[in-house]
Amino acid sequence: MSKEPTGFKSWLFTTDHKKIGIMYLFTSMVFFVVGLLLAIVMRTEMLDQTRQVIIDAKLYNVAFTIHGAAMVLFWMIPILLGFFANYLIPLMIGAHDVAFPRLNALAYWLYVGAGLIAVCALILPGRLDIGWTGYPPYSIVGGANTAFYVFAVHLLGASSIAGAVNFITTIITLRAPGMTWGRLNLTVWGLFGAFIIQLVGIPVLAAAVTLLLFDKYLGTSFYDSFKGGNPILYEHLFWFYGHPAVYVVALPVFGIVSDIISTFARKKIYGYTSMVIAIMIITVLGFETWVHHLYVAGTLDWVRVLFMWGTILIAVPTGIKVFNWLATLHKGSIELTAPMLYALGFISLFTIGGVTGIANGLLGFDIHVHDTHWVVAHFHYVLALSMSMLCLGGIYYWFPKFTGKMYNDGLAKFAFWLTLIGAMIAFLPQFQLGYDGIPRRYWKLPVEYTTHMRIASIFSYIAILGFFLTIYNFIHSAIKGAPAPANPWGSRSLEWQIPSPPPFYNFDEIPVITEGPYEYGKPK
Amino acid sequence: MEGVINGKAKEDHHHHHEVELSVWPLVVAVGAFLVPMAFMLAYSWGVRFLGLLVAGVAVGTLVVGLFGWVQEVHSKKQDGGLSKIAIMVFIVSEVALFGGLFGGYLYTMLPEDIWPPASTPAGIPPLALAVLLSVFLLSSSGTMHMAEEKIEHGDLNGYKSWLIFTFILGGLFIAFMGLEWYKLISEEHFSISTNAYGTFFFTITGFHGSHVIVGLIMQLFLVILASQNRIGKKKLTFSKAAGLYWHFVDVVWLLVFSLMYVVPYFKVGQ
Repeated sequence: MSKEPTGFKSWLFTTDHKKIGIMYLFTSMVFFVVGLLLAIVMRTEMLDQTRQVIIDAKLYNVAFTIHGAAMVLFWMIPILLGFFANYLIPLMIGAHDVAFPRLNALAYWLYVGAGLIAVCALILPGRLDIGWTGYPPYSIVGGANTAFYVFAVHLLGASSIAGAVNFITTIITLRAPGMTWGRLNLTVWGLFGAFIIQLVGIPVLAAAVTLLLFDKYLGTSFYDSFKGGNPILYEHLFWFYGHPAVYVVALPVFGIVSDIISTFARKKIYGYTSMVIAIMIITVLGFETWVHHLYVAGTLDWVRVLFMWGTILIAVPTGIKVFNWLATLHKGSIELTAPMLYALGFISLFTIGGVTGIANGLLGFDIHVHDTHWVVAHFHYVLALSMSMLCLGGIYYWFPKFTGKMYNDGLAKFAFWLTLIGAMIAFLPQFQLGYDGIPRRYWKLPVEYTTHMRIASIFSYIAILGFFLTIYNFIHSAIKGAPAPANPWGSRSLEWQIPSPPPFYNFDEIPVITEGPYEYGKPK
Repeated sequence: MEGVINGKAKEDHHHHHEVELSVWPLVVAVGAFLVPMAFMLAYSWGVRFLGLLVAGVAVGTLVVGLFGWVQEVHSKKQDGGLSKIAIMVFIVSEVALFGGLFGGYLYTMLPEDIWPPASTPAGIPPLALAVLLSVFLLSSSGTMHMAEEKIEHGDLNGYKSWLIFTFILGGLFIAFMGLEWYKLISEEHFSISTNAYGTFFFTITGFHGSHVIVGLIMQLFLVILASQNRIGKKKLTFSKAAGLYWHFVDVVWLLVFSLMYVVPYFKVGQ
């Protein structure tokens, strides 16, 4: 084994999973900030329904396009499948690194390339205004440079497939002796499910956008109904990945919540096996839901009913997870640290989002609220705010491990409450707008909704202020925080049994594992 | 270390940390990034010459990067033995890719009463040529199998010969496919923009052909590595991975052959 390299090159040419993880953390945070700034722009535009506040309708389209793409594709998926997967999987399974360290580095740099194209799409002529979904025919006949969109998805897709192949192989082959499948952290299980979805879903998305490119530049007729094609085909191919992408985010988040709750309730996670089975069921069933995005696209009735059942069934494994978390908390020795607050905040926001999701999945109800503000409110509760918050909670939880420093606890909790209060109220008015039939993505709304939108804007500012304070806390504490002990939380999980930050090769020798990560309440 | 860890591993597990720094991932990523840049220069911004130039730089960077990468991996004394599992995982994603494309084709074709559309010129699809292509590709799977048997028994020269044979058959496939495309486009005036069938025909055969080319590049690397004695009985995984990939490309061809050639040959509804 060689000595640990240092300096600029040690980052640029690194193949070390911990360094690559940190680079993912930085890059995805940049896109999180970009997404938040665009959110501020849009919310400010919504303050007045009678005149242009800061941007015109065309730029408003660009703002929600890049906001959606940045948040889903460049922040949430990379922070989970880039940062958390990279940093934690080798530490949690007891390995020196991933199976293919060079491939790992390639995946990161491809993600950076995709990010550069996304930034071009925001600032260069031909700005993307096609929504993060890029539906034809508008994406083909409109003025936007759809090539930005297609190539960003291509590079990101190549990065994701490389990551999926790498981490699935790693989890299968590089577990330490005694690290059975039944002793894996639920975070690892969640990431495993997410990588399987990436592996199967991303190629179909890549195909969908490639055909978009062909239609625009080669004169093909995939999505052109005048030439024998069908624009609905794009929606099928897109949502085949686009909906499971939600579970790509959700499954690792579920895992992280489980780890945090078990540690701070000082209890073994309730129903480990059912948690694992639920993750795997969601992985498979996730591919039997996509048509609910096409309920109003002239889809055949039996297909709609079939996919309605798929959609509703997802609530069962998801419900199992929520009840297991509550059962773990029951009679636990609960410690309300910042990560624990985030986990609890997540459960409350996610439950509101999840319940409205069931309503959304019902065919009859969805026809009423399809493409309205109801949907926007639903996915901001269930996905955007709850899961972004939990990602920050996860960063707090492992902050002592990867920085070797403690974060500022008071600021962490203050920022958490700002974000939670903001998040809870910001999207509440939009449920009513949607129920009243107001379509999403409109630049201006009827004036009677001015108060609704102002409430939404003010509370979204509060939530975003909380986010910015949290990011400030990360940066400040990483530089000036007090030194952290190896295991400040007294966790039984493997990654906490080595020094903070972990040594270069993680483990001097590969450990032999004798019990699972949640064995609390046993004599030491 | 308390609780979780008890005792120490007796034998060395996998040590994948022998190379901490590598320039090749970044080089390959830069090459991959330049490909879309070249396309956008040529098509979105209309500077064709600059686009062509950047495309050349992109391909050069990719070749150098991949070559350096493969050389670096095979300079190690032993390999981790993980590539075979990885390629199986990767093939799952390839199945999804072709699943999406064929799914789109069926979605477009099945509701139609007439297939291929009436605007398709007579004599299309060229079934006889497709049979010849099938012969090339199917027999190349056989020669690949022979090559794999040879290297497992440590016969590196036999491996090389069978691999070159496979490469030639794959090369013939690509050459005749190129000829087919040329004839269809320039003589029969049947192109990717003729109608929905042309659109899917050229896209799916093109996607498949590009996979054949990737397989050929793998074989080229393997021939070089075999000549340098850098692979062998104990370093099998890259050759096993390339073999699996080649058989997969062959299986996909059976679908391409039946759905893109045989089914349209019967001219349903005409």
